Amino acid sequence: METDLKSSTAAFDRRQVYRPFLERLNPIAPLRDLVDHDLIVPRDHDPCDAGQAPIHVALADAAELSRGTQMALVGGIGSGKTTELLLTQRVLSRHSDAVNIFVDLADYTDLNELNTGAILATVGMELYSRLKRENKKPPDEVTSAHTKLRELALGKTKWVPVEEAYNHDQGDDEGPGFVPVDVPGLMRLRFPALRHVVKEVKGLLLTIASPLLENDAQITLLIDGLDRLIRAERFRQYAEQDLQALRGTKMTVIVVAPLLLWYDKSRFLQDYFDLVKHIPAAAADPSDSAFLKQILERRGALELMDRAEVNSIAKYSGGVLRDLLTLARSAAEYAYRDDQDRIGRKHVQAAIKQLGKRYLVGLGATDRYRLQRLADDKAFPIQDSSAQELLVNRQVLEYFSRGQEFFAVHPALASVLPKSK
Amino acid sequence: MIDFSATTAFRLVRRLAAAGQDTPSLYLLLCETAVMDAVRADIAAEVQVQLGFNLRLLAASEVRPERLEDAFRPDTVGHVILVTLDHWLPKLIESFDRNIVLLTRAGMVLLLASHEIAEHALAAGPNLRNRLTDILVVKSDEAFGDERA
Repeated sequence: METDLKSSTAAFDRRQVYRPFLERLNPIAPLRDLVDHDLIVPRDHDPCDAGQAPIHVALADAAELSRGTQMALVGGIGSGKTTELLLTQRVLSRHSDAVNIFVDLADYTDLNELNTGAILATVGMELYSRLKRENKKPPDEVTSAHTKLRELALGKTKWVPVEEAYNHDQGDDEGPGFVPVDVPGLMRLRFPALRHVVKEVKGLLLTIASPLLENDAQITLLIDGLDRLIRAERFRQYAEQDLQALRGTKMTVIVVAPLLLWYDKSRFLQDYFDLVKHIPAAAADPSDSAFLKQILERRGALELMDRAEVNSIAKYSGGVLRDLLTLARSAAEYAYRDDQDRIGRKHVQAAIKQLGKRYLVGLGATDRYRLQRLADDKAFPIQDSSAQELLVNRQVLEYFSRGQEFFAVHPALASVLPKSK
Repeated sequence: MIDFSATTAFRLVRRLAAAGQDTPSLYLLLCETAVMDAVRADIAAEVQVQLGFNLRLLAASEVRPERLEDAFRPDTVGHVILVTLDHWLPKLIESFDRNIVLLTRAGMVLLLASHEIAEHALAAGPNLRNRLTDILVVKSDEAFGDERA
């Protein structure tokens, strides 16, 4: 009891030391807060090509110069895709006629169900809100299109006579008795035809956007969240309907796509989009890149730990930005619980072990064998579905260096992975 | 079974308090099924005492995968949400995974599960796994070796 009282009294001051640091390191903090507090470190070049502009600059330039361009941003979980979108949005805002619509689709629609038309409907509603903010009374046809769009997107309650509702199955009103039969043509369409409802939503969206398009506004839709669909085919269905519908509308699209599409044999990503940018895991060796260290330093790491600890955290994050923050935060919490004023080596090591164990969960014998092969022989069959699972789960990371792509076991996982005999 | 760091209800809530009331956090808490009710009660009591918040208790079977926004709506008054993953519900975990931003924006969220269900959930939810603040085993004060009740 005495120990507890003593530590909680002493902890009061220490809390003021650690709390601001922990707040700056929260891997799930709203990113807009980080942008507003200037805690984001933009990369100074494309992570896949040191000679190219940073991703957010390349995306913004393309959006400004070629309206209607469709771009995809692909990367693993925690690689910093949302951050790049926010940075892109910030660059785009330099022009007064820029209309930037940033949405995480999960905020608007249930991503469990395939929901074609959802992107268009979301964009339409967001554009209408924007118009209303700027122009107190949008034209009548715009308001009417928005009302219809909301009904289509969110549904409505209709009151129908009981008889009509119950006679529906009896076929009295089914017209002349024809049913549609699709007769395939000789040519296979590159993309499936737009569904009726998608066409309808597109029409309403264009009506809502018309006051902006007539004024030559630069409309950019930054769409986050579709990477969480994980499976390439689910993303494709959205792209083939909603994104296809936006072609030719002069509305630019930047969409975050699942990492597996990057490795999809069909090359859908490269064929469909006008520009594709890939964010691999960042170079994790501090001697190769200062990027990860800069992120920690910007958030005040050197106030609480030495450079050796910063280097260690950078290395064992594997270059996964969210893991970098998780490790630093976790090490800080260990130090705080240890009643220490600074984060030491043992706190960083404990944090690495804890992160490694997180990645250890769910690994079967085959997975462990595959990880061992990768560690020993650099062999990783990326077209194999179980290998892809390891990549999606970030147990294996993809890197890009000197024009070469390669894979490696996440270093925090490697540190706790039992050695096979 | 992987030996994640252990804690008690008291220490867990102290950690939430240290991070600050406005700091979003998402913890996966592991415990034996037999002591789950006691763990829940301990956490509720500590949340009330240390944070002055109410603990919103939800069972996974009550959460509709297609209506996560109802369960994780951020309230204006402070609260902590604790979801007990009392059954293996793959559709719910898939929904957590795809709509993970709804959980991370809901403030302080605790997911409580047995080791077995937690393992399934982590394997099935890569986005969830990556966004967890931490994974901790919750033990009673006695089992942890703490003197204080």
